[in-house]
Amino acid sequence: MKKHSLLKKAEPYVWLLPSMLLMAVMILVPIVTVFQLSMSQITRAGVIKGYNDFENFKAVFRSPTFWHTLKNTLVWTVTVVGFSTLIGFVIAMVLNQEFVGRKIVRAIVVFPWATSLIIQSVIWKYSINADYGSLNVILQKLGVIEKYINWTPTAQAHFAWECWIGIFVTVPFVTFCVLSGLQSIDTAYYEAADIDGASFWQKLGRITLPLLKPSLTVSTVLNIIYVFNSFPIIWTMTKGDPADRTHTLATYLYKLSFYNGKSGQAAAVSVIGFVILCICSSIYMILSLRAEKEEQ
Amino acid sequence: MTSRKRKKLIQKICLYLFVLVVCVIILYPYFVMFTTAAKDRDEMYALNMTILPLEWKWSNFIEIWSAAPVFRYFLNSIIIAGGATLLAILCGIPAAYAMSRMQFKGKSIFLGLVIMSQMFAPVVLLVGIYKLMTTLKLVNSLLGLILLNAAFNQAFAIWLLRGTFLSISPEMEQAAKIDGCGRIGSLVRVLLPMAAPGVVTTLIFVFINSWNEYTMALTLMSTDTLKPITVGINVFYGFNMIQWQYLFATSLFATVPVIILFLCIEKHLAAGLTAGGVKG
Amino acid sequence: MKKILALTLACTMVVGAAAPVAAEGSDKLALNVIISQYGDHTQEWWPTFESKFEEANPDIDLNIEIVSWNDLYTVVNTRISTNQAPDILNIDTFADYVADDLLMPAEDYTSEELKAKILPSFWNANEIDGTVWALPILASARALFYNKDILEAAGAEVPTTWDEVLDACEKIKAYDENIVPWSLDISTDEGQAAFSYYTWNNGGGFTDADGNWALNSAANVEAVNFMKTLIDSGYCTADPYTETRYPQQDAFAAGSLAMMLGPCNLYDIAAGVNFGVAPMPTNGDNESVQMGVCDRLMAFRNDEAPDQEARTAAISKFFDAFYDAETYSEYMVFEGFLPVTTDSGEILAASADKYTKGDGSANGDSEYFATFCDMLASCNFYPASKPEWNDVKQGVINAEQQICQGADAQETLDLLQEDILTLQEENEAAAEEEAAAEE
Repeated sequence: MKKHSLLKKAEPYVWLLPSMLLMAVMILVPIVTVFQLSMSQITRAGVIKGYNDFENFKAVFRSPTFWHTLKNTLVWTVTVVGFSTLIGFVIAMVLNQEFVGRKIVRAIVVFPWATSLIIQSVIWKYSINADYGSLNVILQKLGVIEKYINWTPTAQAHFAWECWIGIFVTVPFVTFCVLSGLQSIDTAYYEAADIDGASFWQKLGRITLPLLKPSLTVSTVLNIIYVFNSFPIIWTMTKGDPADRTHTLATYLYKLSFYNGKSGQAAAVSVIGFVILCICSSIYMILSLRAEKEEQ
Repeated sequence: MTSRKRKKLIQKICLYLFVLVVCVIILYPYFVMFTTAAKDRDEMYALNMTILPLEWKWSNFIEIWSAAPVFRYFLNSIIIAGGATLLAILCGIPAAYAMSRMQFKGKSIFLGLVIMSQMFAPVVLLVGIYKLMTTLKLVNSLLGLILLNAAFNQAFAIWLLRGTFLSISPEMEQAAKIDGCGRIGSLVRVLLPMAAPGVVTTLIFVFINSWNEYTMALTLMSTDTLKPITVGINVFYGFNMIQWQYLFATSLFATVPVIILFLCIEKHLAAGLTAGGVKG
Repeated sequence: MKKILALTLACTMVVGAAAPVAAEGSDKLALNVIISQYGDHTQEWWPTFESKFEEANPDIDLNIEIVSWNDLYTVVNTRISTNQAPDILNIDTFADYVADDLLMPAEDYTSEELKAKILPSFWNANEIDGTVWALPILASARALFYNKDILEAAGAEVPTTWDEVLDACEKIKAYDENIVPWSLDISTDEGQAAFSYYTWNNGGGFTDADGNWALNSAANVEAVNFMKTLIDSGYCTADPYTETRYPQQDAFAAGSLAMMLGPCNLYDIAAGVNFGVAPMPTNGDNESVQMGVCDRLMAFRNDEAPDQEARTAAISKFFDAFYDAETYSEYMVFEGFLPVTTDSGEILAASADKYTKGDGSANGDSEYFATFCDMLASCNFYPASKPEWNDVKQGVINAEQQICQGADAQETLDLLQEDILTLQEENEAAAEEEAAAEE
């Protein structure tokens, strides 16, 4: 009898085992390695020389580029997630209406999501080049501009384009998350509101948004994590240049590691990024737990 | 009455205008990709450039297959993405099942771990991953990338599947159990068929993520014949000259199948995505 | 259950198909070589070399891996940090590997005949603390390439000084504003080259006459400010910060870029336009200095190899086979680069025309090769044997970008110089410590 109940207790863990094993080996082990590396002295060529008293972290914190990168990462995450949520929301609202060709439009909206980031970035990089890029050519032929425009004269302009591509590829995900939320809302709510003579904005604020909260939360949380760690767009477009002004943490650590030969500091940056995300998600967890309690 | 009609009309026009603008913007890069892919190399940097190719050079789409082992790259991508999808789903289904149908200690810890695993992007862990793969002797092997992609997609797979399972009432399975089915039996015969749309969504999702993965493949695969397509197209972007026309022609071939796959699940896509959050 | 079985089976099949083809248990000595990709032809030439070499040396299993420059450092660094360094590596730097004691001294594997035919200046360029650690694989010289037709049509002379450059650019701009007159690449990819072009031709450079770092000299400040002038007047390709030299070469080849400071192998790419080659323009009365680039081949130590002697012998054989006059000349023509051995230098200068490329399209041009081989004798090279070189390289790129974006040139270069000197002190202190520990 006792043996039987023990078996029963163990059963869920058996079900979890394959998944846990896979993640533990493939993700947890590298994480541990990175923590180890962040506290080791590593030579330029990549030889590991042992513990060095948090020297990597000190060096990272001393570097002004790191602080600028941190600021960029924040701007990048907030801008991309914020704007794509907003735009995605609007597009989803429109796609939720009945109109001719809706199916085709829905299909088209999926495109950026299905295309690999690296391909997207290469196309945009090619397209906005001032000397031979197709954006200038098209605008000139259409008569919008007379002379070719240099789209990327400054670091800020580069960064703005990177944010734009980030938004471009993130919007579909938000759109479909919101769309699914919209479709699960019972139309009876709106009918009742119509009878009461509610305006569009009232319906939006009182019915749509509250009921969409779960969908929006999911898409926002996932997007924050993905965008924060995003690498291919910025790396393909600028490699963090000019003068390291367009880095985010992910590209900065890549450059530190593979171009500047500072793998130890790169690992330290990884750990810092991880800690930031952990703090953010714990805040989110605490807030959502509190909200749940309130509801009860 | 007429003013109301007019308002309706204006609304309609605005709607179509908005939709049109959105579509033009979204399709723009694909237009660039397609027209550039069909241009002659000499046209890329020519003085007076045109929007459309002066002469449509369809042969570019054929030449890529011999200019580089593009076919091999595609095959590798299919093996990597296919293998990773199978593995991710085989590990993910039992885990999601346990998460949605069983009560046990440490459930929230496991869920926390799953989310945590998403916080480290592969690029952040690159050196760690490379070390691990060296220990396992899986550098430069498709199997290595299959395992990695499956692992990094575990969280998403579990998330999606758990949501789908939760949205299905457990009554049917209980009935099956009374009929003498074990847990595995009820999972395979009752739950999975009912959850088929969600499972397919997950499958395709993981497949696309693995197909589009770049950073890990870039560092781990150095043998040319083992590279997946995302890394393989770099040969056209290499030292000395950039073959934009080949690059974009190959990119088209790499993009179209994924878009088609995506369109297949488009209907279920939305439902599957938020199920995890809504019912969680 | 059946479904699960089927799934498992399918999974095993995929995994099975994906498993690496294991090296069969042969007792051949394996040599892993990483070659960097110089162009479209690199991929064609090496496999032929590999099979020929293995035919001649049946006891050696040569594995040649061609890696693009884009991925090269990533691949090499990760390999080294996981103790998977290749046996032979083709790359531009070597001082870092020497600092970590990873390389074999070149004398260990270089035969007398080979040593005798390598140009002495190139042999000596790879010396650190009295030991030579690498062999030069090839050289390239950079000079001014100009489109004869455009310059003529615009009524511009081939510029020899910086003032004439500005003048010529102005004329080209006036002639056709769609033509880009001049190109500049200060990207992370190769920004240190631009630093060399302009500082050397202004009497400055990375080091002073005694070979000490002198990054903040007045000549350097003036030179970087001149780059900024070029950008600000709109004479350059629009995006010098992120656009590498390669699209610029393509633009030159297409006739939409009038002038560029480019490498000798440009002649193959630019075959379609009527172009000329001239010495680099200098500032005022300074003597024109051309830039030479030299990449290297080096052998890594492998203390775990069971038979060190056999391994060294195999490495020697590889080098002897590669530097064989005929083989090596053919490779130089393939890539469009300049040889670093005396015998093949003679062959190329005399008879490069007889070599054809893999696709049979272009021939070597003897006269052209001769011009550049002559130039090579008086070229300046990067101070790559100094241990701080890699930091200097990244440092000057960053400084150039900052200055061209508006930072003060003197201040920025002062800061860089200070950083590098601190680093040098640290390196020296660490070296002394190590030496003391050894005693």
